[in-house]
Amino acid sequence: MDLLTHWLGNAPDFAVPFALAALGLILTERAGVLALGAEGLMLVGALAGIGMQLGVGVAGVSLLVAMVAAGAVSLLFALMVLVLRINQVIAGLALVFFCQGLTGLAGTVFGWTNRPVSGLNTVELWPLSELPLVGKIFVQNPLVYLTVLIFIAVVWFLYRTQTGLRLRAVGENPQAADAAGIPVLTYRLAAIVAGAALIGLAGAYIAVLSTKMWIADMTGGRGWIAVSLVIFARWSPWRALAGALLFGAIEALIPQLAATGVRLPQYFVLMTPYAVTLLVMIWVALGSRESASQPGALGEPFIREQRR
Amino acid sequence: MKQVNALQLSGINKSFDGFQALTDAHFTACWGEVHALLGENGAGKSSLMNIAAGLYAPETGSLMVDDNLVRLSGPRDASRYQIGMVHQHFKLVKPFTVAQNILLGLPAEPGSYRTRLQALEQQISAKAQELGFVLDPRQPVEQLSIAEQQRVEILKVLLAGARILILDEPTAVLTDQEAERLLSTVQTFAQQGAAVVLVTHKMADVKRFADRVTVMRGGKTIQTLNPQHVSVDELVRLTVGESAQAGYTPGPPAGPLRLQVRELRSPTGSGPLAGVNLSLHAGQIYGIAGVGGNGQGELANALMGLPQPTEGEIHLESFGDLRGASAEQRRELRIACIPADRYGAALAGSLSVVENFAIGQVHGGRYGSFWRLLGTRMRSDAAAAVQAFDVQGVRSLEQNAALLSGGNAQKLVIAREFSRDPQLVVVHSPSRGLDVRATQAVHARLRAARDSGAAVLVISEDLDEVLTLADRIGVMNSGRIVAEFEHPADRQAIGKAMVSHD
Amino acid sequence: MTDTTLPQPTVSTRQPLFGRRYTLETRQQMAMHWQALVIGLALLFGLAICALILVGAGVPAQELLNEFVVQTLFDAQNLRAVLFQAAPMIMVGLAGCMAFRARFWNLGLEGQMIWGAIGATAISLFDIGPHALRLPLMMLTAMLCAMLWTLTPVLLKLHLKVNEIISTLMLNYIAANFLLHLVYGSWKDPRDNFPYSPPLQSFERLPDFLAGYNVAILMALVITAITLWFVGISRAGLYLRFVDANPRVAGAVGVPVRKMIVATVLLSGALAGLAGFVVTAGQEGRLTQSFYQGYGFSGILIAFLARNNPVAATVVALLIALLFVAGRNLQVFYQIPFSMVQLIQAILVICVASSDFFIRHRMRRIQAGDC
Repeated sequence: MDLLTHWLGNAPDFAVPFALAALGLILTERAGVLALGAEGLMLVGALAGIGMQLGVGVAGVSLLVAMVAAGAVSLLFALMVLVLRINQVIAGLALVFFCQGLTGLAGTVFGWTNRPVSGLNTVELWPLSELPLVGKIFVQNPLVYLTVLIFIAVVWFLYRTQTGLRLRAVGENPQAADAAGIPVLTYRLAAIVAGAALIGLAGAYIAVLSTKMWIADMTGGRGWIAVSLVIFARWSPWRALAGALLFGAIEALIPQLAATGVRLPQYFVLMTPYAVTLLVMIWVALGSRESASQPGALGEPFIREQRR
Repeated sequence: MKQVNALQLSGINKSFDGFQALTDAHFTACWGEVHALLGENGAGKSSLMNIAAGLYAPETGSLMVDDNLVRLSGPRDASRYQIGMVHQHFKLVKPFTVAQNILLGLPAEPGSYRTRLQALEQQISAKAQELGFVLDPRQPVEQLSIAEQQRVEILKVLLAGARILILDEPTAVLTDQEAERLLSTVQTFAQQGAAVVLVTHKMADVKRFADRVTVMRGGKTIQTLNPQHVSVDELVRLTVGESAQAGYTPGPPAGPLRLQVRELRSPTGSGPLAGVNLSLHAGQIYGIAGVGGNGQGELANALMGLPQPTEGEIHLESFGDLRGASAEQRRELRIACIPADRYGAALAGSLSVVENFAIGQVHGGRYGSFWRLLGTRMRSDAAAAVQAFDVQGVRSLEQNAALLSGGNAQKLVIAREFSRDPQLVVVHSPSRGLDVRATQAVHARLRAARDSGAAVLVISEDLDEVLTLADRIGVMNSGRIVAEFEHPADRQAIGKAMVSHD
Repeated sequence: MTDTTLPQPTVSTRQPLFGRRYTLETRQQMAMHWQALVIGLALLFGLAICALILVGAGVPAQELLNEFVVQTLFDAQNLRAVLFQAAPMIMVGLAGCMAFRARFWNLGLEGQMIWGAIGATAISLFDIGPHALRLPLMMLTAMLCAMLWTLTPVLLKLHLKVNEIISTLMLNYIAANFLLHLVYGSWKDPRDNFPYSPPLQSFERLPDFLAGYNVAILMALVITAITLWFVGISRAGLYLRFVDANPRVAGAVGVPVRKMIVATVLLSGALAGLAGFVVTAGQEGRLTQSFYQGYGFSGILIAFLARNNPVAATVVALLIALLFVAGRNLQVFYQIPFSMVQLIQAILVICVASSDFFIRHRMRRIQAGDC
């Protein structure tokens, strides 16, 4: 019983990075840009957040700086895919490798590795926090609640504003959007930077609020899991949130199982998120032959004067 | 009727990657007229109008609206000058509703998105009613028919305030009745004072609905005239140039039955084929005519062995059902395929001319065993074929196939496919995008294949092409062959069968 | 209406600087020597950026050339190290080339290396086969294990359209955790407390063909020749070029597309497995916990820079091996973390990928209004 309560209470904490990263990816991919660089941008956010936290120590500022840093690095990606029209898969992979190298180097050179920082205090949502069994779900750090607000804001933006409509049009059919006078590349640039900021926030959450320190390559494939989460969610923010909770629950289970003293082969337990990701991908593929909800022009560069 | 120039393009030059699409083109449309822009495929009509709509930037030349020089930096600018264009390939966001699509083109205004959308939905319904058709503004565009999608496009430019309306091949996808209605609606706009540019290659539309016509050929504007003062023959002469198309030539009497398509249909709900039946003899050209989108593409795929789910049978004499044949079997049966989409299904543009030619016979071992390719033989064969089939523009056999012009790329495909002395030839839109000379060369090749005993099936949306080639004509409509004609066929009767709804 | 000498009226109010004056065009082909020049300039630009970063990280500017060229090429010990390092690098590079030629994003090179190493080590641990045949047996097992591990993502892609980037990456993490399970668990060397397997016996290790020069590099060269035959001389190479250029066209002209993709990707996996075997039986001499790190990215980078050409891949792999050795030296002498090597590689990839833009496009001046 205690185990269950703890597990449920911890799940949101593990789910938030997945949720924020997936939301950032959805924002970018809805504009038609294939964003494989999430793993790298999360690392940038994580490192920038820790650096700020070690220097200034105000979590809010650290998280904001992490968003700005990831947004700034994503300008390199935007340059590659929007201006230089590099294949978006290559550009995304190059971005991941670049960020891995950059953060690994900077973390060591600045001496930020393995130095603990203080996170944020939890906030209780009274009286929900007094509920039996599920009460712990409502004792979380403020960013967990903020994440829910961010989701509402992004969904409202995408589906309830004219700018959101235009953004989606750019991702579905850039030729049509262009003919309607929408500046396609500007929208894509904004989507890349805004998405990167959310992904950076996800990385900073892991480093500043969960692990509370920087270790090279600390995101451990969570960016890639977020990429597959978006496919699983068929580019819908709410389904992505549900998927993030699923993965958060799985990750939260690992330390809980260890605490109970059940002797499970440790490294097989550590495999589970990756194995589940693979299974989810297969399940999605089995379910729908045509991924109809994928943005129509995902991954295609936009060139106005192209014949055929 | 005020005779003030609405839209004036002068001295326009435009090229794409070395290909000169427009050479010193001039065009003027006045307020209150329907001005037709007439020309063959590839004459530069769409390129010229895309410049007027702000999509392409001209290299030289000027654009004037209302006799004022303007410079368009994009479609939004064009819309500011009240220019609206309905493109041949609709620029619609498929998953969005009608109203959302129309909202996209409108400038941002304060106010909530929802109330704006609701107001727009009412406006759309009202405008649609005014034009005499019904349209549900909340329906997703992907659920609409082609004709309905076109109405959305027209409403889109009208609600954005367009007074200069450019329609690019609007009747190409419509039945005769639909086309008639559309053009009379358009005529009404013009009578109310708007300027309408009608891009088309159909003489009949020009004669009936246009006040003036500008003829284009080979990227140049040839002449502007009043269609009432000129005969159809004269218009044809202006559009295709002096060398008119060669007519039908009969071949030897048809041989034995070779191919039978029996009740070929798409599995329920997955495609347009609705029970195709036809028989094809050796030494015969069977032409399939019809308005585009009636199942021709699917029939072609099924016959060419491209992925296409079907039920029924494609029976080849002395073999059986072709649908189950493997690529190797199809090769052994000497079936030649010339698909409509050359760079999508026949040629690898980024590979060399040699490779694209040699792939046709490499399987049989002509170019060496699996372990070693015989490069020299591949090159000499390719060189001979390039010569024999008059593929021009091959500076080097190692150059990319993508550098060939449409006609020469088509000749290369034919050279490869005919290198195995085919007994069955399946052709889809063989002259699409080709100039008159290349078309004639391609047609001659198809006739030669027939004369040497092959059974040839030509699927084309160009009725003239079918009439000049086919010994026997089947009309495809709504996924079936609805009527068959022997040469010489009555053009009117074929046209009627193409558009009839039963 | 042919009046081109119109009075030039009020020049339009807006004249964007870049919008109308220039237009960007795609071009189909560029002469080879121009392409080489553009790529060369891009590499120089990337190297300049890397040099700046290195100096910023604390390497004296005058030492750069010494560290990267003189020390690695003209020092016998370092040169041996470079060649030793180059062998697995060439193999993963060729593995990348093969997969890319089949349009398969094989990001699972590391996982395939791990399985190659596990397979080879298992033969040693369970003492299978006579001593004389031990090395060939280990090699074959390594390739087989890696191929089996590669089979899953290929079949998933072909039959279910599961994105191979994600599936191969996830399989990497799974393989890495399984490796940890082995070296921390049942395969741990009982003699000490480090996470690695017992050492291979002397006849299970790749020998030197000359003093200090391991046969691994010869194996790599043989494999280069084999892949060169495969893509350049055999009929499969022509098939593969069609698959790479346009799978739909390939299918239409009778290329066995699926067979080619499966065979080529499995070959890619086998080569990665071989790289795992070479590191285990050559450099490390036992199964260790992180021997594979850095190879996955390098393999993809090599294939990309070499444009999937086996000979070019071998040359690039040698340079990357040099970079690795120099990187280790920097780590020792200047405390520069090894991530620097990855950063340098990423910068080079970005620069070369960007250079493609100048090869595929050209700027053209437009003069509107006067002619």
